[in-house]
Amino acid sequence: MREWWSKICRALDLRSGLENELSEEIEAHLDLMTADNIERGMPPEEARAAARRAFGNRTRTQENAREAWQFPRLETVLGDIRYGLRGIRKSASFSMVVILTLALGIGANTAIFSVVYSVLLRPLPYPNGERLVWLGESTPNAPGISVTWINFEHWRNESDSFLDMAALATTDLTLTGRGDAVLTHAGLVTSRFFQLTGARPALGRLFTDADDTPGAAPTVVVTADFWQRHLGGDASVVGETLRLNGKSYEIIGVLRPGPRFFSRPLDFYLPIGRSRGTSLKRSDHGSMRALGLLKPGATLTEARTNLDAIMQRLALTDPGPEDDHRAYATYLTEERTGEIRPTLLVLMGAVGLVLLIACANVASLLLVRSTARAREIAVRMAIGAGRGRLARQLLTENLVVAAIGGALGLLLASWCLRTLVLIGPVDIPRLSEASLDLPVLTFAASISIVVGLLAGLAPVFTAGRVDLTIALREGSPASGTGRRGQALRSTLVIAEIALTFILAFASGLLIRSLIAAETSNPGFEPQHLLALELQLPESRYKSDANIRQYYGQLSESLRAEPGIEGVGLVMCPPGAGDCGDWWYSILEKPTPARSDVPMTLFNIADGAYFAAARMRVLAGRSFSDADRAEGSPVAVINAELARQSWSDPQLALGQHLKVGGPYAEGPTLEIVGVVANVSQMGLDAEQMPTFYYPFSQKPSSAMVVMIRTNGDPAQWTGAARRHVSAIDRNVPIQSLRSAEDWLGATLKRRRFATLLLGLFGALAMVLVSVGIYGVINYWVSTRQREIAIRLALGAQRSRILRWATFDATRLAALGIVLGAIGAWGASGWLKSLVFGVTEHSPLMLLVAAAAVIAVAALAASIPLWRATHTDAVENLHES
Amino acid sequence: MSTVDDPRKSLEFLQGTLEVLILRSLQTTPNHAYGISQFLERQSEYEFLVDNGSLYPALERLLQRRWITSQWKKTPNGRRAKYYRLTPLGRTRLVAAKSKWMRFVEAMARVLAPVR
Repeated sequence: MREWWSKICRALDLRSGLENELSEEIEAHLDLMTADNIERGMPPEEARAAARRAFGNRTRTQENAREAWQFPRLETVLGDIRYGLRGIRKSASFSMVVILTLALGIGANTAIFSVVYSVLLRPLPYPNGERLVWLGESTPNAPGISVTWINFEHWRNESDSFLDMAALATTDLTLTGRGDAVLTHAGLVTSRFFQLTGARPALGRLFTDADDTPGAAPTVVVTADFWQRHLGGDASVVGETLRLNGKSYEIIGVLRPGPRFFSRPLDFYLPIGRSRGTSLKRSDHGSMRALGLLKPGATLTEARTNLDAIMQRLALTDPGPEDDHRAYATYLTEERTGEIRPTLLVLMGAVGLVLLIACANVASLLLVRSTARAREIAVRMAIGAGRGRLARQLLTENLVVAAIGGALGLLLASWCLRTLVLIGPVDIPRLSEASLDLPVLTFAASISIVVGLLAGLAPVFTAGRVDLTIALREGSPASGTGRRGQALRSTLVIAEIALTFILAFASGLLIRSLIAAETSNPGFEPQHLLALELQLPESRYKSDANIRQYYGQLSESLRAEPGIEGVGLVMCPPGAGDCGDWWYSILEKPTPARSDVPMTLFNIADGAYFAAARMRVLAGRSFSDADRAEGSPVAVINAELARQSWSDPQLALGQHLKVGGPYAEGPTLEIVGVVANVSQMGLDAEQMPTFYYPFSQKPSSAMVVMIRTNGDPAQWTGAARRHVSAIDRNVPIQSLRSAEDWLGATLKRRRFATLLLGLFGALAMVLVSVGIYGVINYWVSTRQREIAIRLALGAQRSRILRWATFDATRLAALGIVLGAIGAWGASGWLKSLVFGVTEHSPLMLLVAAAAVIAVAALAASIPLWRATHTDAVENLHES
Repeated sequence: MSTVDDPRKSLEFLQGTLEVLILRSLQTTPNHAYGISQFLERQSEYEFLVDNGSLYPALERLLQRRWITSQWKKTPNGRRAKYYRLTPLGRTRLVAAKSKWMRFVEAMARVLAPVR
């Protein structure tokens, strides 16, 4: 034991040191001997030569000594590796198939793992990122809504689960006084935000608590990127001012470039407490969230309980309309990846199945080869190789093959990864950071080893059972074809078919879902519709009248443009997602209990929007000039909202929608119309209840102008820009793209996931066809002679075919049945990815079965054709 | 191979003997490899000729078993050399090995002695 330990130590780090020391020791030995010789009266030259002679063969001595500190097994392992490499060269085409199969499996897995690692597993790039917690409030039916300033202050001061806490929000401000007006994106944060995210100043300083209180002088910290782009990278900007929304802010610092915290790039930060600190009410929400740093050792559950206790205490001491609100706390990592997690896990699972298929394939191929090598193994056993020694050698050979496959797989993975990052949707957080780094390489190395061992086990098991006398007998073609080997091969093929079936089913479901989503009725006509997104600078458009006047003027001038058939205004166009939701109730209906108040999305539109977008009005009317600013407040609702309260949209007309529900403040609107549902959250999302405020009664400075054109909307982008700047060149254009782009963007993730799963399905098909081909081909070649005899005796080709296909059909049938059971069981995992079809789709089972059968039949047809076209005479002559 | 022992030829070490002899040579004082070979040759009255190709691996094995340790030191005439020294473990091993070899030698002698 001790000897081994010292060998390991020495082998690890002392090798070269030992070598030098030995050399030196021998040198000393020679010197001492030379000195003795000189003492005996020899001349120095001769004394040295005599010493060398007497010492003997120095190299051999060194080698012998070296052996004493080496592992004797290393030699045999190296031998096995050399032997394995020779084997690969000898049967190049066979090895090629095995190595390519492994490379495909390992490469695909490594690439996907790299993405999974980067997106889901890699620690966040902030100090103590694993302890950062995303905080918000929760109502009984809406978890994770914004936290109010007062609640945040109480949390920050009273919670004992957190080391530190910061509040954050974002806002858009118009920057003037430095060239054209530009819309800029600001982060509103408390002073501790920078410490929590590890941001440091390159110039000047960051916020202190003094900057972050109401009444403090307005200050701004700009990002490195903004500093370069807008301030010319000038070091003297600290102390200068920025005009934001017409107010001056002193630049106190420039941040160093670093990891981004907000998903969209920001231009600068403003202290949030300066503006929000004056808030008095616990129910005063404003899209603010908080970030907390857990104390080391504190758990998330403790933190939640702790914050909830504070909320309960506040409900007693400072009661308000939101006393049932509780704290929402989740790790930042999970908050960021929650949405994409199921997709990535499904992909990882799918690619894992591909690897299993590759493994089964390789195992089955190796089995075939080990049968062919039975004689070689028998000879080795006959001359005394132990079973363990043989097993070790076979395993080493397999590991060599797996290592080559893994290396090739890595190459493949690096290529795949580059493609993945290119085609992947940009909104997957940290996808672009995916690379073949150490954890990914470790993963690749470990799956290579596991695959090598797994695939290698089958032949090792059967190798031990070779019957020497049979195997060594000359000319027995079926030597080593034990029942056992055959059964194992059949099992492997069944497993492969079953796994392929599952993948075919899953990718079929996703493809079907994508088709359903792409062709789903968006509820309006997105073709030939241009969306011009604007944000009026608050400083110039202070009053509602200003805003109404600007948009009215823009709409009029655009309508005059040739080729433009209609112009409408909407705050949140289809595909833009959730631009705000709130409680509601219907005055004419029974009052819901406090915990049952329903929620609805809200939107703002003018009367021309529904016509320009070609949305159907199902009942009543859309907005008209009659809905004046000072008139009685009205609303148009969508079909889904109508469905939730009335059996017929007509019944909704004239009834009243109370915004905020019975328990919160809000206006009461008369329902004047019901319009069709549109794909607000995306083409593949469920319909949400929505109501529209008339723009005339609730003007907003941020609107999207929807322009109906009579051709490709791209032709009108120039005209749109011209009209905007003709009215006021200080109004920045946020975006200008077609309505189809808005909608199409909602399917990016789905397309990405479907493409990948489809590829994995195809890969599985290729692998399984190679596997089936191999097994049938082997069956045919071992029975060549038997077939020839049967043919010679007058058997019909069809009879031979039936005989040959009997086995294959049985395997395929069993595989498909098992696959169907597996697919049915696994379909629950796909629930979140399926749209427009049920994940328990019997039709899709049939399609998958048909696909697998077709592939199996194709793969089997080549060897079967060979079987039935055996030239009986020639074959029998040969042997 | 001649059937009669040639007294002009030195003896070869039997398996395992060299290690015991090394331990014995270090019993009284630490020594370097050359010194050990000199000691063994002298003590055996030049019956044993120490082959360096066996001596060095044997020293390495003894080091690994922690029966001896090594240290670089100056020789009396100023040359640096690697000195080996018995460890307490080596010392107990030497005692055990010595008694085993004595028994072995006596047994050999009894068997080989001419029948009277």
